[in-house]
Amino acid sequence: MAATPLIQLQDVTKVYVTGQIRYEVLKQISIEIESAEYVAISGASGSGKSTLLHIIGCLDTPTSGSYRLKGEEVSRKGDVELARIRNQTFGFVFQSFNLLGRYTITDNVALPMVYRGIARRARTEKAKTLLTRVGLSGFFGHRPSELSGGMQQRVAIARALANDPTVLFADEPTGNLDTKTGLDIIRLFGELNAEGTTVMVVSHDLRVAQHAGRVITLEDGRIIDDRRHAAAEPAETRTP
Amino acid sequence: MSPFEYLRIALEALASNKIRSFLTMLGVIIGVASVIMLVSIGEGAKTYIRTELMGIGSNLLIITPGKTETSGMGHPPSGGVHKLTIEDLQALEKRAPALAGLTPMVVAGAPVKYGNHSRDVLVIGTDEKFEDIRNLHVEIGSFLGKGDIEAHRKVAVIGRTVKKELFREASPLGRTVKIGETTFRIIGIMERKGTTLGIDIDDLVFIPVDTAQDIFDQDGLTQILAQVVNENAIERAKDQIRQVLVRRHAGEEDFTMITQQAMLSTAQSILSTFTYVLGGIASISLLVGGIGIMNIMLVSVRERTREIGLRKAIGAAQRDILIQFVIEAITLSMIGGIVGILLGAGIAYGAKAAFPVVPVDITGWSIATAFTFAVLVGVFFGIYPATKAARLNPIDALRYE
Ligand SMILES: Nc1ncnc2c1ncn2[C@@H]1O[C@H](COP(=O)(O)OP(=O)(O)OP(=O)(O)O)[C@@H](O)[C@H]1O
Ligand SMILES: [Mg+2]
Repeated sequence: MAATPLIQLQDVTKVYVTGQIRYEVLKQISIEIESAEYVAISGASGSGKSTLLHIIGCLDTPTSGSYRLKGEEVSRKGDVELARIRNQTFGFVFQSFNLLGRYTITDNVALPMVYRGIARRARTEKAKTLLTRVGLSGFFGHRPSELSGGMQQRVAIARALANDPTVLFADEPTGNLDTKTGLDIIRLFGELNAEGTTVMVVSHDLRVAQHAGRVITLEDGRIIDDRRHAAAEPAETRTP
Repeated sequence: MSPFEYLRIALEALASNKIRSFLTMLGVIIGVASVIMLVSIGEGAKTYIRTELMGIGSNLLIITPGKTETSGMGHPPSGGVHKLTIEDLQALEKRAPALAGLTPMVVAGAPVKYGNHSRDVLVIGTDEKFEDIRNLHVEIGSFLGKGDIEAHRKVAVIGRTVKKELFREASPLGRTVKIGETTFRIIGIMERKGTTLGIDIDDLVFIPVDTAQDIFDQDGLTQILAQVVNENAIERAKDQIRQVLVRRHAGEEDFTMITQQAMLSTAQSILSTFTYVLGGIASISLLVGGIGIMNIMLVSVRERTREIGLRKAIGAAQRDILIQFVIEAITLSMIGGIVGILLGAGIAYGAKAAFPVVPVDITGWSIATAFTFAVLVGVFFGIYPATKAARLNPIDALRYE
């Protein structure tokens, strides 16, 4: 018997009830994700990919089923503990970036560090390092509205990395990017994964799927495919 | 997270919508300013009345004929009311040791003529003790003397206004005026005193008491003014007066005693009620200001639901969100409170400077109450929307349109 998996879902369902209509978005999902895995989630639009990612990211709660994080049942955790998990264990890149318009991108990236209690000077410095890493070194003082969609996406990624998360979640991180920038992001995720970060990415992008060590496919709220392929060599992703 | 971080987040949020923040504060500003202004006026009126009442002399007791106070059981209507007389006064002088002095007063309106100038004034018939008991003093010449009273002399002491109206710049001492049909010689001019409790002291004429009784055809006194030896003797003085006068008035208590303290406390309690009513009315505007804060906080929470969702998604606990919004609300109400205090006090002082007759008295308690109330309003009305915001599930908040 292997050690406790990092993430363990057992018969997780998510049901939305709107008036008389009961809509089952996730049906009996059971998966285990080990530490330092690189998982891609694919599936048609509306198949429940984002919902699954939100539940694993502790942003949403399942209707039934069990979710264990490092062996501990998440539903038993209190608000402060969940907040700390979202703050320090997880980093989340949303499908729509969710940046705060009245802050500069540096302050946006620094925000998770505010809730961690890191001093202003240190978090600004860290934010600038992260922005440089995603290729936005010249834009520290800009506000999100002054940047293109792809640049905002990269700010959102930098923010997700602010507290050096154990798990990085990303919902369609390359959806708004051109081929070249998309590739940079995929490379960055590969690097992070190589450094030991668990990565879970929802993506239609085939390159992401090729990069990931594991691809989970959803259809109508069910896992129809879950395949691992031994460290897919990213030959194709190298820029010519 | 340090308290400073919470404050910074709240201030940034307020600064990002300056006009709305200002309009919200305006409600509190107006509320606090009006509480302070109105309470200052009420308190000023109290101080004014106290000074005026104390200015008429100390430990005074006024005896008037007729019973105006009704005791619990009520007095059966009696045959006739005895007048207060000089003899009553003399009896009190002998047999009421708690009284330091007594002076009679016969008051009547009459025209005073000098040459072809004439003026309708209040004439007061009294004696030489009036000057000290009533704390009104002569400035030029002399007041009515004991000799003037005993010899029934037709002499008069006039107020400043009477002097000015009848004599202009000329000196009236030794000249004669006609009060009604009787000729009087002027022996003194009172010092300027202005208006006290609605009576223009400078527009009075004083003549000997029995002369007044003669020319106005009265055998009684309008009132007797008595000075009690000290403030602890007031009840004793009232008992002695009652004993002496009831005996002289065939067993009837057909007179009324009013003490200066009673007048003072009546006036003070009326004015306190007045102050509280004014303060209460102003508090309503403060409450309306508070509801304004709640309204803005609710709108602000709604508008920033996605922001709240995001903050929660990246690690803010419910507590952090709650504190942020409560601090925003408190900051609004506190700044509003401080500006309101400055504005209210400024207007009150301005009014005092511009119109010295307006009694204004800014009290610490009204400032403290208004400020505390403003902050409490902020906390109270900030907590509800803040709790609402903090409870949201991150993803529901993020999806909010
Ligand atoms: N709050 C909600 N109330 C009702 N239905 C919801 C709610 N949120 C999501 N759904 C439904 O759940 C289903 C799955 O949504 P989800 O966002 O997980 O899909 P997805 O696979 O991420 O799709 P896409 O690729 O378009 O992002 C959709 O049909 C959606 O309409
Ligand atoms: Mg989605």
